[in-house]
Amino acid sequence: MDKKIGLYICTGCSIGDSVDVEKAANVAKNALKVPVVKSHFALCGKEGVDLINNDIKNEGVNTIVIAACSGRVKYEEFDFPGSLVERVSLRELAVWTQEPNSEEANLAAADYIKMGVIKAQKGDIPEPYLMETVKTILVIGGGIAGMTGALQSAQAGYEVVLVEKEDRLGGFINKLYKKVPAATGEYKEPLIVDTDIDLTIKEVESHPKIKVFKSAKVEKTEGQPGQFDVTITSNGNSEVVKIGSIILAAGSRPYDANKLEHLGYGKSKDVVTNIEFEEIARKGNIKRPSDGKEAKRVAFIQCAGQRDPNHLPYCSAMCCTTSLKQAKYVRQDPDATAMIFYKDIRTPGNLEYYYKAAQNDPGVMLTKGDVTGVTEAGNGNLYVEMENSLLGDKVKVEADLVVLAIGIVPATVDDPILNLKYRQGPGLPDLELFDGFADSNFICFQYETRRTGVYAAGCVRQPMNIAEAQEDATGAALKAIQSAEHVAKGVSVHPRAWDVTWPDPFMQRCTSCKRCTEECPFGAIDEDEKGTPFFKPGRCRRCATCMGACPERIVSFKDYHVDMMGAMMKNVSVPEDDDKPRIIVLACENDAYPAIDTAALKHMKIDPAVRIIQLRCLGSTNLVWIADALSRGVDGMLLLGCKFGENYQCHFAKGSELADYRLGKVQETLGRLQLEAERVGLVQVAIDEYDLVPAIIDKFVARVKEIGPNPFKGF
Amino acid sequence: MAEETMEQIIKPDLNFVKNIIASGGESLKKCYQCSTCTVVCDVTPDEKPFPRKEMMYAQWGMKDKLINNPDVWLCHQCSDCTAYCPRGAKPGEVLGAIRKMTIEEYSPTPFAKMAGDPKYLLILFALPVLIFLGIIGSLGHLDNLLRGHEGQIVYSQFIPVPYIDTVFILASIFAVVSFFIGIKKYWTAMSAGVQLKGNITDGLKATVVDILSHDRFQKCTVAKDRSTAHMLVFYAFIGLAITTAWGVVYLYGHEIFGIQGTSLFNFDQTPYAPLYDPMKIVGNASAVALLLGMLLVTANRLKNAEKAGSGSYFDWLFIVVIFTIAVTGILSEVLRLADVDPLAYIVYFIHLVFIFFLFAYAPFSKMAHMVYRTTAMVFARQAGRE
Repeated sequence: MDKKIGLYICTGCSIGDSVDVEKAANVAKNALKVPVVKSHFALCGKEGVDLINNDIKNEGVNTIVIAACSGRVKYEEFDFPGSLVERVSLRELAVWTQEPNSEEANLAAADYIKMGVIKAQKGDIPEPYLMETVKTILVIGGGIAGMTGALQSAQAGYEVVLVEKEDRLGGFINKLYKKVPAATGEYKEPLIVDTDIDLTIKEVESHPKIKVFKSAKVEKTEGQPGQFDVTITSNGNSEVVKIGSIILAAGSRPYDANKLEHLGYGKSKDVVTNIEFEEIARKGNIKRPSDGKEAKRVAFIQCAGQRDPNHLPYCSAMCCTTSLKQAKYVRQDPDATAMIFYKDIRTPGNLEYYYKAAQNDPGVMLTKGDVTGVTEAGNGNLYVEMENSLLGDKVKVEADLVVLAIGIVPATVDDPILNLKYRQGPGLPDLELFDGFADSNFICFQYETRRTGVYAAGCVRQPMNIAEAQEDATGAALKAIQSAEHVAKGVSVHPRAWDVTWPDPFMQRCTSCKRCTEECPFGAIDEDEKGTPFFKPGRCRRCATCMGACPERIVSFKDYHVDMMGAMMKNVSVPEDDDKPRIIVLACENDAYPAIDTAALKHMKIDPAVRIIQLRCLGSTNLVWIADALSRGVDGMLLLGCKFGENYQCHFAKGSELADYRLGKVQETLGRLQLEAERVGLVQVAIDEYDLVPAIIDKFVARVKEIGPNPFKGF
Repeated sequence: MAEETMEQIIKPDLNFVKNIIASGGESLKKCYQCSTCTVVCDVTPDEKPFPRKEMMYAQWGMKDKLINNPDVWLCHQCSDCTAYCPRGAKPGEVLGAIRKMTIEEYSPTPFAKMAGDPKYLLILFALPVLIFLGIIGSLGHLDNLLRGHEGQIVYSQFIPVPYIDTVFILASIFAVVSFFIGIKKYWTAMSAGVQLKGNITDGLKATVVDILSHDRFQKCTVAKDRSTAHMLVFYAFIGLAITTAWGVVYLYGHEIFGIQGTSLFNFDQTPYAPLYDPMKIVGNASAVALLLGMLLVTANRLKNAEKAGSGSYFDWLFIVVIFTIAVTGILSEVLRLADVDPLAYIVYFIHLVFIFFLFAYAPFSKMAHMVYRTTAMVFARQAGRE
């Protein structure tokens, strides 16, 4: 399709008073040959938008460059379906952060407009990647999270396939005698109620949209969101089911109490786990296993093997509430006492009221203390030995029965569960960051995993209680539905949930180096039999890490490719004056660029040496850009991206880290140009660190000034 | 208060917990052991401060740790802890309940149980009522109560002084002996395994000075006014004790030693010396101070109820008794002078019954705090807990 570019410059928000709009318009008209160039004092108003619509209709404009405010605002006003829209952030980058009417501000305005026009010239109107999809949702795990996810999805109108490994639905709750009642605000007696899990099981099994496989396992998962082929084996039979997206609710298992010998487990029959205690309580009177004597004094040891580097380093979140609940089992006998020994009582949220209510019972006694061991008292009873307790520095408490509040271990810790037939492996990657839980650092995107179309919920994601698992599963169901729907429309899922572009590699030039298949954070690229990369766009989240990784520069998106971005960088003005460096800042659109926008909103001044270019992700940085820009005389390049490492904030999990890794090799590139590696740097910025941005830039500018001007300047 | 050097075995006592709750420590179980109470307390020693540890012991029913613990008496129930407790627990009241239980524990007669339990209130009052009715009846003066008596009201004719003295001397001996036995047991229990320093006389002296000045009490923040009220009541009692002694000197000084009255010191006119007599002035002033003090005590309690808790039966019984003594005491005098018959006799009768209640049951009622607190403060001083 022939493109006709229209450049629209807004003079509102003091843009017109601060930079020479006319001059910038002339540059576009003459040097860049933009056919339609117009300005308006309020482009986002009805009149301004009409002006553009009019040109689309009457002038045949189909590629629109709007030089006004940041693309992160007014996106609803500047939405022109069917046209390629490019936003130039004049207001933030050339006005608010610069001295009004200075030479620098005018130069910046011209540069940014020029880059916007080049980007529009090089871009194409995207068309979605459409394929045949199904929207059936697979739920792995038939516990409370899985059943809730299945019911929520089915009630929203989606077909559901539920796979449960046991021969009965219900999962962990089947083991419980009673549960904590639901409450908003204060809890009232009774503090223990029936689980009523049978009602949920019945609801799931009788739902016409839910197909349940029991004693079943996911043998393998092939394909991509919208068209997964999932092989389910159940009682020796295998079946392949077409699936749109997946809710992973495989749950957890109790920590192996045999490792807790120091707490008497295995040594005394009267030391039991909190799960075994459910079974004891279910039988009526609390009788101890050794001699069947009624246990009148039951000791609960919290954090048994938890928050302990030798066992589980984390808190299992629900054991404190569980022990308070089980204390109430004990207190069904009015003469019995339940004694709870804790490091801290952790009853998050509304459960603090449960703690209050349970604690209010005179027979529920609590103390902080470090339990050092459980020993025989010699009379058939046990001693719980403690140090640093509130009852004394070194004390023993006599008990008839000891319950260990053991924690949970996620199902994913040693089992891929999904059994993905992906080049990058069968399970979810890098779970060791989360002690094996299928969790992520996606602060804004709960339930996300590193495999598109797979959403984790319940105890496989984080330790949690029944109510939290239900909430979790509802959230994951919504994400699974969203994924199935987006894939059907050829639109990406979060964080680029509007994006209809997709990676379209020019395979003739592929050398099968496999860098893309290895680096893709989402395992979107498999390989065919010959080892040639093979993109699965349904799995792709459009971060363009593959584009940054590819040494052949063959991966392109319609509105984002190596040549386009390189051309923009090559065309920024380079002042001839040696004292005036030119530095290109590549800023990630997720954190760094919004931080810059916020700094601009606060009218913080940014050094005029820099030209800021927004990237999808630092992971899309191709080293050729650095070589190209520096060989054109640009003095330095600063990459601003998300925090990476253990507490990463990268929206694509690995992007900024990969960029940093590639920069480690930039000397190779710069060496050929005989330039210093220090001309290129990467700084991690969080979205809320906007106040640091000007100083980060100043520091980098100073560093480049110290190195001196680029010898290629003026060539 | 044994030092925790060796590993001790804890056997929680659920019944003791329930007793504390029943004795006015209803809020005990609200405590979640954060220690805010201890941090805000102005009267606790810095080493092993209270009241969190006492709250812990109480929640676990660790009777030995509480009953033998002088710290519960170092607490003056300022209620700063209660006001700042984030959970609505009232450590002041819990310690109050434990103090009550301490008195109960060491007092040697069944009266101890009865003094703290409303069930037995009638029985406790029945004793003095019957004693005084018996005396009055045997003297044939029952009519005074019902229809009044011809002529000037003279209480010493209604019930002659020897009767009064006999009853109250016996009651006092009973109280002193009970106190002595109780305190001895208490001191022994507290001393187990504790190194005491200095001599008791010095400790007692320092403690008395502390009590006279209300130094410790004045450190309170939330219940600051309580120390003023308490001081007023405290000195009123001292004034009334002086008055009583003075009356005895007048009476027996005249009767036995034949001392003649002067225009100022009316030895010969006891117990009804003219109002300008210094004994009379001290007595009346003390009575008014007592009444004012008790009004303040009550007002403070009501005013601070929300922050400090509304108090237990044990507390209120004590307040009501003293209040009644003050009111009936003043009324007895006023009605006598105004010659209101037979109301004066009735009021006087009630006055005697309440005085008996206060004296005879002192080792078991909240009045015992006077002795137990003093003992605990002396002990704490000796044990280096300042």
